[in-house]
Amino acid sequence: MLQAAALVKGYRSGDRQIAVLRGVDLTIAAGESVSIRGESGSGKSTLLHLLAGIDTPDAGAVHWDGRTTLPVERRAAMIGMVFQSFYLIPELNTFENVLMAARVAGAPRAAARTRARELLGRVGLAGRETHLPAQLSGGERQRAAIARALVNSPRLLLADEPTGNLDEQTGAGVIDLLLGLGAETRTALVLVTHNAAHAARTARQLFLHEGVLR
Amino acid sequence: MPWYFYLALKQLFPTGRKFPFFTAISVLGVALGVALLVVTISVMGGFAFQIRQMIVDTQGDVQVRGPGLIENPAELRSMLGRVPGVVGVTPFAEGTVMLEAPNKPPAFPIIQGVDVQRVNTVIPLDHYLIRGRLDDLDDDTVILSSLLAYSIGAQVGDKVEVSSPLLLERLKHDEVFLPRELRVVGIFMIGHQALDSNTVIVTLRRMQDLYGLGRAVHGFSLKLAPGEDPDAATARINAMLPPDAGVTARSWMEFNRDFLFVLQLEKSLIFLLLLAIIVVAAFSVTSSLLIAVVRKTREIGLLGALGGRPREVAACFCLQGFLIGLAGTLVGLGLGFGFLAVRNNIVHFLIRVTDSKEAMLRFYQVSDLPSHLDRRDLVLIVTSSVVISTLAGLLPAWRAARLNPVEALRSE
Ligand SMILES: Nc1ncnc2c1ncn2[C@@H]1O[C@H](COP(=O)(O)OP(=O)(O)O)[C@@H](O)[C@H]1O
Ligand SMILES: [Mg+2]
Repeated sequence: MLQAAALVKGYRSGDRQIAVLRGVDLTIAAGESVSIRGESGSGKSTLLHLLAGIDTPDAGAVHWDGRTTLPVERRAAMIGMVFQSFYLIPELNTFENVLMAARVAGAPRAAARTRARELLGRVGLAGRETHLPAQLSGGERQRAAIARALVNSPRLLLADEPTGNLDEQTGAGVIDLLLGLGAETRTALVLVTHNAAHAARTARQLFLHEGVLR
Repeated sequence: MPWYFYLALKQLFPTGRKFPFFTAISVLGVALGVALLVVTISVMGGFAFQIRQMIVDTQGDVQVRGPGLIENPAELRSMLGRVPGVVGVTPFAEGTVMLEAPNKPPAFPIIQGVDVQRVNTVIPLDHYLIRGRLDDLDDDTVILSSLLAYSIGAQVGDKVEVSSPLLLERLKHDEVFLPRELRVVGIFMIGHQALDSNTVIVTLRRMQDLYGLGRAVHGFSLKLAPGEDPDAATARINAMLPPDAGVTARSWMEFNRDFLFVLQLEKSLIFLLLLAIIVVAAFSVTSSLLIAVVRKTREIGLLGALGGRPREVAACFCLQGFLIGLAGTLVGLGLGFGFLAVRNNIVHFLIRVTDSKEAMLRFYQVSDLPSHLDRRDLVLIVTSSVVISTLAGLLPAWRAARLNPVEALRSE
């Protein structure tokens, strides 16, 4: 479903060139779960952005279903994203936040509403639809963000340290959800984490070290 | 509804917030500017409208005159009467005279000779009469302006003596030209100090006698059909005037051009000054939206990652400026017209509180505040306030659209 081959990405900082990714190869099959661990600054987020198609590699290529480009209008159907700090829009309630992703993707309204409601129930936020992000706990916010990432039924979920801001127990619940929902909906999952226990629960565990994935 | 429109609305009216403070303050700022503009421009327009009305009422829509006398007025008059769009023609002769009431120092007013049969077709003189009747005006009577009558202490029925410069002229040739004794049959008040302090009206025949004009007149005042464009009609009249007539037609706008220019300039300056209020309100909208863009950098990055295009992100912020402008303009129009509707109650209240009815009546004749708003001015107020508010969203919109999703998401 997704192949990344020989990805190279670096940044200029002043007159110094920092090589972050130095040839990353990665293949992800449909419905598969993969975890990526690595030190801070090793390039995990950079890699996720390349996989999401919102950043371009200096060399190498990402293939989505065999194609080398992921146009904006097909991105929503392909990729869902979850972040460490949730990024919920504070003016919208939980339900509206989930629906927002469908709106931006231009999904048919009625179907999206049903799906949003269903997902909120599935992540344990039934009855919390009208609550604002500020009225939710960290774990609840992340679960709302997961529902939002899945509302367009993407084929791949990219989670960038989704438990980074959560306590141990809440984090474990979020990982349960990501893996459970991924399996249910046959959505592939790339989980970036520092937590070895969480990583161990994915089907495949990789390390990003010195710019290469092992 | 496109997502950016929805989000713009939601940012202005966040879910579950009973009173959107930022939106209310922003809308109020624009509304105050619009309300002030509407009220000020309307009242200024009201006064200007009255002044224009007074000019047309005293001078006619068009005047036809030459450098000297018109020796054969009957012919020219009937010719002018046939011009399409002209509904009234009246001749006039004018000059300065000495006016004496018994035991009073003399006054030197402007004198107007009018054709009693025709003057009312052009100049609604009887409309301005506060004493007496126009019908009583004949060759042995005179109508005085109010302040003049007041200063020489003349009342309807009193006799006054009128001498013209012809008296001096005749004196040079050792002839005697006696002052004419005329009876006051009316007093008029236009509401314009210069005219009210210093004008007398007699019949054309009496004026011709006083000045030794024979049958000649100085010119004609013309009245146009309602809705007729004075400049177009003037051009039409000039095209029909025989070249040897030695006279030209000028519209009232033309012979009051300097005055009208000052009125217009005054209005434009006030407009610009008050527009500054809206600009200041718009600046505060800009700064609030800029802060919102900075605070929401990561959320905007996420929208980009979700498939939102830069121009849609820009539209989201521009729309907020536009919506604030639209709401502010509507509220401002409501406030402005609301105030105008009760303006006279407020003025009367102030007069009562300050006990200044006398002064108001003395200086403005009426104790009411006039109001007149051209459709053009209204459109100008509405468009400028909406455009300025929309422009206020432009800088934040540009900042938001320029955000690269990758960097925005990184900016933790
Ligand atoms: N826009 C940028 N300019 C310069 N350096 C950057 C930029 N973005 C990321 N980096 C650098 O790239 C490296 C990898 O960053 P990142 O992918 O965020 O690492 P991780 O997610 O593994 O912590 C870091 O050293 C970071 O400082
Ligand atoms: Mg990272």
